[in-house]
Amino acid sequence: MNRRTFLRNAAAGSIALGARPRLFAAAPPPDLAFVQGESPAALAKAAVETLGGMGRFVAKGDVVMIKPNIGWDRTPELAACTNPEVVKALVELAFAAGAKSVTVMDNTTNQAQRCYIRSGIQSAAKAAGAEVPFVNPRRVKKMAVKGAWLKEWDVIQDFIEADKVINVPIVKHHSLCRATMGMKNWLGAIGDPRNQLHQRLDEAMVDLAAFFKPALTVLDAYRILVRNGPQGGRPSDTKLTKTVVAGVDATAVDAMGATFLEIPPAELPYLKFAVDRGLGRIDLEKMAIEKRTV
Amino acid sequence: MKKERSKKHRVLQLLRVVVQAVFLGLFLNLLFGARFSGEDYIGDVEVFFHFDPLLAVVSFLASRRVLAFFGLAAVTVVVTVLLGRVVCGWVCPLGTVHQFFSWLFKKTKMARPKKPAAGGLWVKYAILVFVLVASLFALDLAGIFDPLSFLTRTLTTAVIPAFAQAASAAIGGLYTLRLETFGDKLTQAVEALTLNRTFQQGFFIGLIFLGALVLNLWRERFWCRYVCPAGALLGLLSRWNLFKVKVDEAKCIECNLCSIHCQTQASPFPNPEWKGSECVYCETCAAVCPTKAVTFPLRWKREKPPAVDFSRRRILAATALAAASVPFFRISKARKRADPKLIRPPGSLPEPEFLAKCVKCGECMKACPTNGLQPALSEAGPEGLWTPVLVPKVGYCEYYCSLCSQVCPTGAIKELAIPEKTVVKIGTAWINKNRCLPYFLGRPCIVCEEHCPTSPKAIKFVMVDTKLPDGTVATQKAPVIDLDLCIGCGICENKCPVVDDPAIYVTSVGESRSKENQLLLQVGGPERWGTL
Repeated sequence: MNRRTFLRNAAAGSIALGARPRLFAAAPPPDLAFVQGESPAALAKAAVETLGGMGRFVAKGDVVMIKPNIGWDRTPELAACTNPEVVKALVELAFAAGAKSVTVMDNTTNQAQRCYIRSGIQSAAKAAGAEVPFVNPRRVKKMAVKGAWLKEWDVIQDFIEADKVINVPIVKHHSLCRATMGMKNWLGAIGDPRNQLHQRLDEAMVDLAAFFKPALTVLDAYRILVRNGPQGGRPSDTKLTKTVVAGVDATAVDAMGATFLEIPPAELPYLKFAVDRGLGRIDLEKMAIEKRTV
Repeated sequence: MKKERSKKHRVLQLLRVVVQAVFLGLFLNLLFGARFSGEDYIGDVEVFFHFDPLLAVVSFLASRRVLAFFGLAAVTVVVTVLLGRVVCGWVCPLGTVHQFFSWLFKKTKMARPKKPAAGGLWVKYAILVFVLVASLFALDLAGIFDPLSFLTRTLTTAVIPAFAQAASAAIGGLYTLRLETFGDKLTQAVEALTLNRTFQQGFFIGLIFLGALVLNLWRERFWCRYVCPAGALLGLLSRWNLFKVKVDEAKCIECNLCSIHCQTQASPFPNPEWKGSECVYCETCAAVCPTKAVTFPLRWKREKPPAVDFSRRRILAATALAAASVPFFRISKARKRADPKLIRPPGSLPEPEFLAKCVKCGECMKACPTNGLQPALSEAGPEGLWTPVLVPKVGYCEYYCSLCSQVCPTGAIKELAIPEKTVVKIGTAWINKNRCLPYFLGRPCIVCEEHCPTSPKAIKFVMVDTKLPDGTVATQKAPVIDLDLCIGCGICENKCPVVDDPAIYVTSVGESRSKENQLLLQVGGPERWGTL
């Protein structure tokens, strides 16, 4: 492209942009992608595409870590763990964007094998070519988290050593923090005694979210858990909402997620902390949210 | 005379070693298969036990029930009647272990047999009589001495944990050497085997095993000769075997090597002294004979074998001793009242029937995915030694898992399908409000509520006011327990952040299997829990 064509294109672009900003690729991507439809995999792919495609987040040769919620020994229809098809779609996208390796991992609550296998995530992610290792206790090291409250904690090194981390939580009810989504999901990337973090859970979640800094958050709201969280147990504890939300601003994604549980984001203390710390936004009404149906 | 050892019998000896290795491998394969494989149901990994006539007969006598799966023991009986104690010599995995160490001690010159041993063989028959007589009183002691129970229990609670620790240390060494990728790979491989590595008493059970191995220094296959009641039972059945040792007097140079190297004191030489009930057909005598004098020809004719010195008087003495001992095993507070810590695996029969069937093999402890099942010490009284109890501080009962019930070889833990298992109550959770963070510190926690697996949750929360030391009042969500919903799985106790003595804990009261160990009318009633 020479100087003249560049100028011409830029001029044409700016005119078009002023007129119909949302139709052009040159337009800035939205703050949040909100995609609804029937297939969890298609939703995940469309959500990432809406944000500008996986190429925006993953560079050629990147070591990518995908962090779903695999915390519980529950099958997908119970909505206690991230939808395996959403995870699989993201693995595929990461490889398509040139990732050198993709790892899927979580520090589970129930016995690790049972969670990995029965959630369906291990087989789905492996089918797409990802590594799905169990947490290796030798790769857990104390680190300076440098949070407002949480100063240091044991962190699983795989999450630190990756070039890009993608958070893939699921929307679930939780008795203590009311809604568990992206920020709460980071308790699965750290070591014990993580149960003690419940004593200041809202602050810990925000500190961890600030520490891990995911390149992208893809929130699975295909089938959400509306009661008896965070593990449910009966299909009647779940609700089909057939949505995937994605964004770079993890706070904004959680804010949007809260609405599935009919909680105004401003009511969640951890979202308020996140805003106070300048981590992200929760003013959904002022955000650029691109809604699509696939 | 030309000195030449029998090629045929050396080949047979080698074949025997191969067969032993195959069966030991099969045994270990099944044992390691007793774990979560990704499937809800893992198949008959306990099948080895069902070929054991001792366990069959003792379970039958002690529980007064015919257990169909023990029909397989008939195979062993028929084989033994026709061929003698080949099962001991060629199949038994514990026999193989003892034989291996006997061989090792001899090869390394740590043991040097100089002359044939004599006497003592009657002890194992006395143990057999003791065990059988005890089982008439519903006292199941077979598991203490049965070779399969002994080996499974030892491997599960001592050897495998030690192996896992060693593997972990070795992998640590790899990291020190900066071979991290290799270390990561090995870690994942070991992790996938789900090796439980925490067992109360593992050290002592290991010591007993070590003792049994060391005794091979004194006599080859010491256990098989003097202790094993299963071997004794097979010895009784082997009187009519078809192959009997024959020493060709024309060739024999009376060197006595055959009897010196006989692994089980069957004394092939002098020929009339040969004890068919002791011979395990290891082929050693025929293979070491320098003149090919020792053979095992087919002989239909029944010969009166020289009896082991197990006289009628000793039978009577063992019987009397057993009958007199039974009451001592029953001196236990466990029989007076349920022990709060005696939390049995889901599907366990009511305590008396459970004790009559459990053979203490530890297969359930091997299968338990959380390492929660532990060998009992005193919780169930003397007769309940090494029976399984759930220790939630070590591991909880995984909600959708019924592996322990599937692998139990005797049905002491009744086999349960997953939906049946999830409604079996094995105990009840209690909150110690003096230690629970919301109750006494006014701090948020409710980790127990988060982990409670039932739906609706058996642990709910209420808002509670707590007076703090400075006089102010904190209001927090604090856990309460819904007795109707609690199944006693113990995950609350396991995950409670009050580490040393959890503020929420499970005791056995309310368990579905017991009519007596209850606390409330209608709680744990048949409308929800079903009857076992």
